[in-house]
Amino acid sequence: MRIVLDRPRCEGHGLCEEAAPDLMHLDEDGELVLDREEISDADAALANAAVRVCPVAALRLA
Amino acid sequence: MSTAIQRVVVVGNGIAGLTAAETLREAGFDGELTIVGDETHAAYSRPALSKALLLDGDDLSSHELPPTTHGATELLGVRATGLDVDRRLVKLDDGAALPYDRVVLATGSRARRLSDLPEELILRGLDDALALRKRLAGRPSVVVVGGGPLGMEIASGCLTAGCQVTLVSQGVPLILQLGPYLAEVFVKAALERGLTIVETGSARLDRRGGDARVVLDDGAVLEAELVVTAVGDVPNTEWLADTGLANRGVVQVDSRGLVRPEIAAVGDLAAFPTPYGLRRIPLWSSAIEQAKVAATALVRGDDTPPLQFRPYFWTEQFGLSLKAVGHLPLDGEPTYVEGGPGGPALMRWSRDDGSGAAVALNYRIPIPRLRRVSREAV
Repeated sequence: MRIVLDRPRCEGHGLCEEAAPDLMHLDEDGELVLDREEISDADAALANAAVRVCPVAALRLA
Repeated sequence: MSTAIQRVVVVGNGIAGLTAAETLREAGFDGELTIVGDETHAAYSRPALSKALLLDGDDLSSHELPPTTHGATELLGVRATGLDVDRRLVKLDDGAALPYDRVVLATGSRARRLSDLPEELILRGLDDALALRKRLAGRPSVVVVGGGPLGMEIASGCLTAGCQVTLVSQGVPLILQLGPYLAEVFVKAALERGLTIVETGSARLDRRGGDARVVLDDGAVLEAELVVTAVGDVPNTEWLADTGLANRGVVQVDSRGLVRPEIAAVGDLAAFPTPYGLRRIPLWSSAIEQAKVAATALVRGDDTPPLQFRPYFWTEQFGLSLKAVGHLPLDGEPTYVEGGPGGPALMRWSRDDGSGAAVALNYRIPIPRLRRVSREAV
């Protein structure tokens, strides 16, 4: 499973970082950085939570 | 415990219902899951309706959410008409009755209207937004009634679409939601962009010659080709009338979002415990956080950590983008952590009780950092 970021949609809310801080973070410029794109089964629930909390659907799982 | 639960029904397909359904699966529920939604659309992002969706040129996708993974049976375009708490049945308007072992009440709220006139447009659901967007293409003159965040976002969208826009507000727009300091910042930006603001004690709608018009408390009349109202929301709890679960139009829940061990209520219809008493907080992250806790509690019971809701609010209007953490509205003046008045800024308000709020204005900052700013005295 992978996390895919649609960068133009991202508004930098950072709710995803709050849901899954080990998987992603916003950098100093407020740009989202995926720290891990390949998601293990152990992190699937966290990744799901991060994808779901985004109000502009900038993330998805593939 | 989850082995004893065979059937769960989620009534409502907004972000609260969707999050509850996904969370039920994450909590280990692998039985029969049914979602009932009165709209025919898949679940979507409501905050986008009054922001990007009104503005975007050809992009009609800003409200779309990623595909669901809960594997539920989705009954869309179907409305729940009643709940039988003794026999554990959700009754539907097509005559069907769905048995449940656990049920999630997530029917949200609807726009409060000022009239029965079909000319009164509101913005609550996707169909409302698409209809408004279509009307704006003809650049009509617009009166927006309601000076809250939604009314202001709509007014901003109408201005951007090239319309002449008048906003009718009880008092200074946004002052009730954001407090005087930030309200002034937004009003200034709105006026600079050409919004006309009319303050009134009350407003009503009537019709003359086939057009809706707005009558103010002093008798003044505002006419426009388009009248949009954004004057609050009403929880959809009528279908629970016979159950005793709705009290004064809201469903009161405990700190885990439960009404009874087998019944959860989440999202805009639920009043949950906050530091300021039982409150309805009809916002995006509120719905999500409530749904996560309540769905987990339906499966795991008292082992579930109770909700510790931390508010997050954002709005985009008149060229300003605001993100706020902490309880609103905010009294007095902020301390500027970064930037200053009139530019991109990071602000902090401290309260006497030691709590704080942080606001980012046209300033990109991750929520976790914004939360840290809200907690740290500067």
